[in-house]
Amino acid sequence: MLRIESLALLQFKNYSDRVFKTPERVIGICGLNGIGKTNLLDAIHYLCFTKSYFSRQDATSVQQGKTGFRIEGQVVLQDKPEKAVCVLRENGKKEFSINGQAYDKFSQHIGRYPCVVIAPDDASLITGSSEERRKFLDSLLSQLDAGYLQQLIVYTKVLQQRNSLLKSFAETGQKDLSLLEVIDQQLIPAGEYVFNKRKEFLVSFLPAVKHAYLDIARQQEELHLFYESELLRAEFPELLRATRQKDLLSQRTATGPHRDDIEISMGKMLFRNIASQGQRKSLLFALKLAEMDVLQQEKHFPPLLLLDDVFEKLDEERIANLLEKVCIKNEGQVFITDTNKERLTLQLEKLGVAFGMIGL
Amino acid sequence: MQFSSSLLENAVNEFAKLPGIGKKTALRLVLHLLKQDPGDVHHFSEVMSRMRSEIKFCQRCFNVADGDICSICANSMRKSEMICIVENIRDVIAIESTQQFNGVYHVLGGVISPLDGIGPDQLTIEALIHRIEKEQTAELIFALNPTIQGDTTIYYIQKKLGTAPSANATPLRITTIARGIAFGGELEYADEMTLARSLQNRLPVDKYVSR
Repeated sequence: MLRIESLALLQFKNYSDRVFKTPERVIGICGLNGIGKTNLLDAIHYLCFTKSYFSRQDATSVQQGKTGFRIEGQVVLQDKPEKAVCVLRENGKKEFSINGQAYDKFSQHIGRYPCVVIAPDDASLITGSSEERRKFLDSLLSQLDAGYLQQLIVYTKVLQQRNSLLKSFAETGQKDLSLLEVIDQQLIPAGEYVFNKRKEFLVSFLPAVKHAYLDIARQQEELHLFYESELLRAEFPELLRATRQKDLLSQRTATGPHRDDIEISMGKMLFRNIASQGQRKSLLFALKLAEMDVLQQEKHFPPLLLLDDVFEKLDEERIANLLEKVCIKNEGQVFITDTNKERLTLQLEKLGVAFGMIGL
Repeated sequence: MQFSSSLLENAVNEFAKLPGIGKKTALRLVLHLLKQDPGDVHHFSEVMSRMRSEIKFCQRCFNVADGDICSICANSMRKSEMICIVENIRDVIAIESTQQFNGVYHVLGGVISPLDGIGPDQLTIEALIHRIEKEQTAELIFALNPTIQGDTTIYYIQKKLGTAPSANATPLRITTIARGIAFGGELEYADEMTLARSLQNRLPVDKYVSR
């Protein structure tokens, strides 16, 4: 079991110095727009992933006019209490420690506190570019398998080297093809590892997403999800050879798992082109709930669930339906933000679960 | 910082350019020099400037040297058929401190990293290949950092050697230093990649026990 008992924030976003007690399993976070509900969720995200859900730069999470921040969480993991601390120093250096033991590499922490976020911006997971879906897939697989994250990091680094090399060929007019071959030899095993893990995982994951979708939408729709990768059609070395001339011209790598996607279609059309807002939202929840199930199965305890403003645009029945899924059928700790305290309190009382309420 | 003398200020600014030295430390060093005998300070600056202008790089291994050939290459007691390939001069010093290596070195001057604008041409790889062809090299030991760029460099040199016509009668042995759990380290805190590598390249116990 994983639970956050309390959270102390210093100079983090709009909090100069505050402690939140969160011993209950279900925590409601209520307040007006801009008061810092999402910031509180993001602090938890930091503790789980050593980074923000929203911003790539840590500096943007520092309170205005200050330098550095500190997030401290009292966590209970498998019945053992521990203290997780994330500090951004004045010089911009980030440190992350468990019980005072600092990590050498942040990637070592990923997966220790499994966590699923559902936020309004996540709609881009459905409607956005393939990068969003790869990010989702990578985040999930990294939590399940530390080896995946290692190989993904290697793949990304080698890919950057390869693209730089292609650029330098164009700039200097000299093509050291044997160096390109050496870099390809490094790219191939990492790329194949990433591809195979994705393929293996999606075989069972995609049907689970479809199932969850039909469950939420409560209607029969012809929904298809499938993994799209060039590596499904040919071996990676072969693909690299085939696109080499193109790569040399365009100065970037045209093939590989960094171009994978999860294609979603309804009938014969692309889902993102024809789906209604409600359908998109249902599919988003389906993806996230399936993610939650997978993490629970693999870790043998449920992940933390962060629900940010998910009730907007949902009718009462759907809210009740969703809450039942995440608070009753799921035994993990859940954090829910809402602008309407009465609505959330009423809904949680109806469910009959013990909950804590943070009014901001 | 306010200075009453521009001479002092210039000296402080020069010291502050050194790695690990801030303005305050620079001021402390300069004030210390100011207390010294002018002759001593003159000697100090002369040593520095001679070091920079007269130092040479060994024509064979690119290590620092007083003459055309460094003292390691010139030492006839060392096995010149065994070449240890390192990234920079600091690595030579590190390996020399172990007193375990009796061969010679080759300093690459960096590792291949297109992202940082470093290609094979910026390094001493060509010279290394000529050297191997010319000398009766029996073994190459790669002692590069265990990074992606380090690996790229190893594979690249290996590939170049594979295609170069070899005049050597004996085949060249190519090895890399062992990688794995640090001595005195703890398994629990080793990252998965290191631990996995250590398992893959495990050693028979009779070879493991240090003698």
